[in-house]
Amino acid sequence: MTRNSPDPQPLLEMENVSVDFPVKGPYPFSKKCWIQAVTDVSLEVSEGETFGIVGESGCGKTTLANAMIGMVRPTAGTVRFQGVDLYALNPKAFKEARREMQMIFQDPFSSLNPRFSVYEIIREPLYIRGQASETVMKGKVLELLKLVGLDEEDMYRYPSDFSGGQRQRIGIARSIILNPRFLVCDEPVSALDVSVHAQILNLLMDIQKSRHLTYVFVSHNLAVVKNICQNMVVMYLGMIMESGSSDAIFANPLHPYTKALLSAVLDIDVTKPRDRILLKGDTPSPIDPPAGCRFWQRCPSAMKGCRTVPAKLVEVEPDHQVACHLISGFSAQQVADSLHEPVSPKSGG
Amino acid sequence: MADTVLEVRNLKVAFPCPGGVIRAVEGIDLDIHRGECAALVGESGCGKSVSALAIMKLLNTPPAVCRVDKLWLDDLDLTHLPDRQMERIRGKHMAMIFQDAMTALNPVMTVGKQIDEIYLRHSRLSRREARQRTIEALELVEVPEARSRANSYPHQLSGGMRQRVLIALAFACVPKLIIADEPTTALDVTIQAQVLDVLKNMQRVHRVSALLITHDLSVVANMADTVYVMYAGKIVERAAMQEIFLEPLHPYTHGLLASVPRISDERQPFVQIPDAVPHPMRKPTGCYFHPRCPRSNDPCRQRMPRLEGPDDGRAVRCWHPLRQPHEVRS
Amino acid sequence: MSRPNVLLQVAQRGGSLVTFVRKLWQHPQGRLGLILAGCLVLVAILAPILAPYDPYDVTQRAAKGLRPSWQHPLGTTTTTGQDIFSMLIYGSRVSLMIGIGTGVALAFLGALMGVMAGYLGGFVDNLIVRVVDIMLVIPTLPLIIVLTSLLGRSYFVIVLVFVIFGWTGLARVIRSLVLVLKNSNYVKAAELAGASRWYIMTKHILPGTSHLIIMNTALTSAGIMVAEAGLSFLGLGDPTAISWGKMLAEAQGGGALLFGAWWWIIAPGIGIFLSVFSFMRIGIVMEEVFNPRMKASSSIYKLFKHLNNTYLDEVFRSMEEEESVVREPPDRSDAPTPEGCHG
Repeated sequence: MTRNSPDPQPLLEMENVSVDFPVKGPYPFSKKCWIQAVTDVSLEVSEGETFGIVGESGCGKTTLANAMIGMVRPTAGTVRFQGVDLYALNPKAFKEARREMQMIFQDPFSSLNPRFSVYEIIREPLYIRGQASETVMKGKVLELLKLVGLDEEDMYRYPSDFSGGQRQRIGIARSIILNPRFLVCDEPVSALDVSVHAQILNLLMDIQKSRHLTYVFVSHNLAVVKNICQNMVVMYLGMIMESGSSDAIFANPLHPYTKALLSAVLDIDVTKPRDRILLKGDTPSPIDPPAGCRFWQRCPSAMKGCRTVPAKLVEVEPDHQVACHLISGFSAQQVADSLHEPVSPKSGG
Repeated sequence: MADTVLEVRNLKVAFPCPGGVIRAVEGIDLDIHRGECAALVGESGCGKSVSALAIMKLLNTPPAVCRVDKLWLDDLDLTHLPDRQMERIRGKHMAMIFQDAMTALNPVMTVGKQIDEIYLRHSRLSRREARQRTIEALELVEVPEARSRANSYPHQLSGGMRQRVLIALAFACVPKLIIADEPTTALDVTIQAQVLDVLKNMQRVHRVSALLITHDLSVVANMADTVYVMYAGKIVERAAMQEIFLEPLHPYTHGLLASVPRISDERQPFVQIPDAVPHPMRKPTGCYFHPRCPRSNDPCRQRMPRLEGPDDGRAVRCWHPLRQPHEVRS
Repeated sequence: MSRPNVLLQVAQRGGSLVTFVRKLWQHPQGRLGLILAGCLVLVAILAPILAPYDPYDVTQRAAKGLRPSWQHPLGTTTTTGQDIFSMLIYGSRVSLMIGIGTGVALAFLGALMGVMAGYLGGFVDNLIVRVVDIMLVIPTLPLIIVLTSLLGRSYFVIVLVFVIFGWTGLARVIRSLVLVLKNSNYVKAAELAGASRWYIMTKHILPGTSHLIIMNTALTSAGIMVAEAGLSFLGLGDPTAISWGKMLAEAQGGGALLFGAWWWIIAPGIGIFLSVFSFMRIGIVMEEVFNPRMKASSSIYKLFKHLNNTYLDEVFRSMEEEESVVREPPDRSDAPTPEGCHG
């Protein structure tokens, strides 16, 4: 990974993180299988930036986000928050460290307890920490309600009285009441109506500016990521395909998957028809991911060596890494016998 | 219009419920020509899905109450058709593609068999011939290894494959009209593009008219010929696809288009429409959009504008459209 | 905003039982069930005042087998001359105590086990699920017969057996609900904020299952009442207590059919019916209130009956396009405002 960020110590650092989930086998007595949700991911999130994680469903982006904030224990690798290894802490210190990190959920309908009033929902983190009196909490909740654009009288209403956008505002208020430094936004707008997307995104950006927050923004919407993220990673089947500054990636996407993803984004520009790279087939199952490069089965320019040799992230320009044999090449021997005979991509699954 | 496949006049749907009436659809008119794909666009709760179900006469009435002045499918008058006959029409002349393919397919029957059934019901074919047609149909929607895939059950297929099977199923009887309700919403970006292409090709090849129900403007841009924008149960703008993206007339359409982030955008705050869609039981007086509209003034608060414009061209429901429909020439 | 909501808040916060009762009361059938159950409880409590005679008095040999009269509204037994009306009143005590007592104990045990299995997971879950599986296949009735003959016939034994073998059903339902609640995002948010397991269990999970628990209590109570009557009828109940089941057994043994004393059979039957009916009503209505889909369908159908067509016509007419007199768009400054507004 590059270490040319201005901040000497990144706020969050992941090193070779892998997360596997056990699943039951297809038959009663068959061996336990492992879903390789995240494999060997290293990344750095520096203070004050918005870091994007992009990928399709099942690519492990939500698992990765959960591993960042201590919700999912990685099977391998380390997660360092402010220089401290999160998963090596004792439970008490772990809880303290996590005070600084919060999450905004995708679905504003299941993230608020329907039995709690808005006041109870927003003050809950303070209440759990048990360090504030009722009046302090009330003041704080009022302040946050104003910040996220809700009224004072909404305080004693219940989530069922609110629309999706308003619920998401409540969720945002809850997540910042402990003054965290690090906020994971897991697809914060994808469950909302189109016309309120912009409201919520702008609100998040305003809060980031006024409270100096660091965001990790998980999304499948490339246009949004391009607009708000400084750095990003593109994930496919649990691995990073391309990472770097979003300007560099969008200006010059190098990985075939990134290219396909970008071209597949249906745009509303009707004036300029674009050539679309249509990927064949579906994402393979993470239970038994393909050997070699994870993407080779669907890759339009896969070579013979891609089937067996895993691709490693290499730096192609400052702040831009790609994991692709097309860029990094094989050893001289491998290049010689595979470069000029492209393998027709076979559909997976 | 001689070549109108679907003609809907003044379709209204209401849901009485404790404490009031939900006015889901408030008198919409639709005209879909042969081979055309019309899109009904709107946010959740605007009544677009309810309209589609009402056209198919699939709404359960107790909960819903429907009124329609005129509902013609090609040369068939469906306005007052009883349920029994409507069933036949639905199987033969209208088909629907749902968002959730898993619930739309029979889970205990192989997908091949489900398509076979359609061929067997509509034409005199032997089982073997029907299967042959099924495999051809699956190949047409780009299902790889169609022969073996026909023998798999829905749960063995991926989301994209299931959606293709659903498309093959819908086109199997060569209907006059296909209604696609959010056909790609549940899919991933790359799969979405594939399925949309398949759907578009099928529609063009078979020259079938389609009604596309979606909230996603990018899907509209890639699929539709005509666009109807709905807001709170009313159509607020009608236009050909290119026109609506190039020059929206209604402030709502304009705001919606501006608020969709594009890859080509520079980094900047997103353009936002204030507030949220009104609750269907508590719609404002006058123009339903006026509380969120930057151009609203007194008349907007008091009277609902009419959908005005040339009969078969652009029309907009607004007191202060960005431009008058008859001024726009394209 | 504040005034009417204060009550609601109190209800939601100060114990969900209040909310349940309030919601039940709003439903006509629920109200019927509540009133009936309330009456039964009152009768049971006030039995010594309401009953004209001592039902345990078996010394009235002179008054054996009397037909209903003003002195004895339901006559007396043919064997010992007990007043049947008084027995009926006292019988409610046993029925309700066994029913409610077992129901509550069952709910407590079932909820505890279900929440523990669902929330703690792992070994505890495995253990509880295995126990449930085993319990479910053991037939309760023969077991009760064996146990009562072994441990002596007392209601305590019966209640104990019902509780030990009855909690499994509830535990299973609760467990699956807890599994859903556990993965909800609000629980995740609480965990992120540093909540303890105890906090999540008591604040988020248990309240989320309360409607199931209360509903289940009402329904099992009804079931237990029937079972108790059956057991007593079979002679497995406490021989010293008067219960409706035992009254039936005595009626049969005392030749009620032979003497044409139908009231002797009908009376405990009505008692059993009323108590079971009221608790069933409460349980079923509860299910309807808390299962939105059931609630919607039933009340909408009712609504349709009340809706007159003129009202709907009015609604539909209000959706019509206004016949605009002015074809040209009104100018920005001001527009004539006709009366035709939207409703």
